[in-house]
Amino acid sequence: MSGGAARWPTGLPGVLDDAIEAAAAPGGPFHPATGARLDAREEFPADACAVLDEHAMARAYVPAELGGVPGGLPELVAALRTVARRDVTVAVAHGKTFLGSVPTWVAGTDGQRRALARRVLDGAVVSWGLTEPGHGSDLLAGRLTAEPTADGGRRLDGAKWPINNATRGDLISVLARTAPEGGPRGFGLLLVDKATLPPGSWSPLPKEPTHGIRGADISGIRFTGAEVPADALTGGPGDGLDVVLRSLQLTRTVCTSLSLGAGEHALRLAHAFAAGRAMYGTALLRLPLARRVLGRAAASLALADAASLLAARAAHCLTGEMSVVSAVVKAGVPEIVQLAVDDLAELLGARGFLTEHHEHGAFQKLERDHRIVAVFDGSTAVNRASLINQFPALARLHRTGTHDTEGLAAAVAAGPVPPLDFGALRLFSRTGCSVVQALPDAVGRLAALAAAGDVPPRVPELARALATEATAVADAMAAARPAGRDTPPGDFGTARRYERCFAGAAAALLLLADPGDQVRVTSLTAALERALELLRPGHEAPEEAYEPMLETLAEPAKELIA
Amino acid sequence: MSELTTQTPQPTAAELVDWLRGRVAAQTGRPAAEIDADVPLNDYGLDSVYVFGLCAEIEDQYGIEVEPTVMWDNTSLAPLADALLGLIAAR
Ligand SMILES: Cc1cc2nc3c(=O)[nH]c(=O)nc-3n(C[C@H](O)[C@H](O)[C@H](O)COP(=O)(O)OP(=O)(O)OC[C@H]3O[C@@H](n4cnc5c(N)ncnc54)[C@H](O)[C@@H]3O)c2cc1C
Repeated sequence: MSGGAARWPTGLPGVLDDAIEAAAAPGGPFHPATGARLDAREEFPADACAVLDEHAMARAYVPAELGGVPGGLPELVAALRTVARRDVTVAVAHGKTFLGSVPTWVAGTDGQRRALARRVLDGAVVSWGLTEPGHGSDLLAGRLTAEPTADGGRRLDGAKWPINNATRGDLISVLARTAPEGGPRGFGLLLVDKATLPPGSWSPLPKEPTHGIRGADISGIRFTGAEVPADALTGGPGDGLDVVLRSLQLTRTVCTSLSLGAGEHALRLAHAFAAGRAMYGTALLRLPLARRVLGRAAASLALADAASLLAARAAHCLTGEMSVVSAVVKAGVPEIVQLAVDDLAELLGARGFLTEHHEHGAFQKLERDHRIVAVFDGSTAVNRASLINQFPALARLHRTGTHDTEGLAAAVAAGPVPPLDFGALRLFSRTGCSVVQALPDAVGRLAALAAAGDVPPRVPELARALATEATAVADAMAAARPAGRDTPPGDFGTARRYERCFAGAAAALLLLADPGDQVRVTSLTAALERALELLRPGHEAPEEAYEPMLETLAEPAKELIA
Repeated sequence: MSELTTQTPQPTAAELVDWLRGRVAAQTGRPAAEIDADVPLNDYGLDSVYVFGLCAEIEDQYGIEVEPTVMWDNTSLAPLADALLGLIAAR
């Protein structure tokens, strides 16, 4: 539906889609047999990445004003999703360059931004080095140091591991201790160009064998007295944590594209299997249970898609709210998709498990590949912790119902997004989360549309039920105490419910913005049904609720990107 | 937000520290008397990445806008109160 290539029929996602389709012919780099072979050998998908390079995928990693695609984050999400729905490993391997570049877009000088844009557009691979051996989520525990040198530069000592593309990469953004005592002002971010380092001052750490994304270059890098020039610093020497936290607001939002692609791939495989599988004198696809599972998975994806699309647009239209939005979707979207993938795996039976059957074992590969999305760039728990930290403000603003009307109107519209104002990213949102706070208001407007016969009566019913859930969640948030490392487990459950409220609200608002598009209304209504199921334990959507999704699945590829 | 906040009068340094102490106590579940204004908040379980909730409460209570990084430049309550007093006076 709304987040895919069809939004950019002449843009990069459409071009990539065609190129990948062509490269998916037998023997081609995107053919499932090729992916399976590389996966088994833990070999890097170099030919598939070359296809993306040939079609200038890197333009999606660069802001428009520096020569990138005009569509900003939504276009990047659509482009990466197009790759991920063929092969998540390739999307992870190639897309990392965006993550490594973001700090420069956020906090670099004009000169630094222009220089990096040139490199990225020329095909340079940039990696993102936060984690160290022994230190992951706790960013301020890092030991890698960047001490000043006599000539104004910095000398790096320490290791980053495990890092995607640490070995293959040309450049790496490194979070490093600039003051020996560390602390929130004791870290800086440095963009290191490996080619300019004195020989012997760095070495790659070996590739780590992994459960999923087996072909990706998951390795590390060790610096021993590696000297970098003064202009390697992105922002001031004490700005590292600030820059990283604001950069993560964008990278985490973009990570959702990997889940959307994996989910779409899973649904396509399961649907094709069910359609072709003869049993009991009929096809699996005709059994009511199979129809329910497929329809519900499609609804889950529509829900995840609504959340991801609105989050990517929010980066441009509600920039100051991304501290909330990015945490919500990085925790919520991979989980909603994973639940759908688990259900589909059950439907596939043995074929979800065998590595050499049904499309060369593509299902079990994507299932393994997708697991990483909930781990890297801030795990689900880390994102929930950062959301919980914002509970008091969110609860208060939810009660008042105030929201950024103008920003939200631009975010839900179909038109192009304004340029992303990187300077407007804030460590915490002053206006809470407009998407969720606008839900009660949307209920009234959807009811009016239904009364006029413009949307099915079920739509305002569902929106009202979701608004009731959101109020209950806001009450729970008001009662929570955001206690840092002593946060009780119950608050993480509240965070999960808030994520689902966001996804449901996103579906309701997108539906409200364009109630004339029947296909979209069908899939967004199913998304609302699914959101309510996810929010109310024991509640099941009415028997026919997901049946309309089955019809749109008949032509899976078209429907899901249209 | 403003109806509630514009009425909060200019606090003294001691009053502001007391109010902050109460908020930290509420957030961390410790008795207020245990919160020392000169001990880094990190020691009470409020890691740097997770202190912004307090920042939102300050804005709300005193009707001021604070850069979240004020929490990093002043890691315990006494210097934080000093930094905030000027902002509150200037509102
Ligand atoms: C395939 C792969 C690729 C990676 N690529 C990169 C990369 O390119 N760059 C990079 O910098 N890193 C990368 N990483 C590292 C990844 O981001 C870290 O694994 C992640 O940050 C978690 O760190 P950790 O594994 O050390 O777990 P820890 O930080 O030790 O966490 C352990 C557990 O505690 C939970 N936890 C952490 N904080 C909280 C909290 N506040 N509240 C509640 N629970 C919490 C975590 O969710 C986890 O379950 C990669 C990892 C893998 C596996």
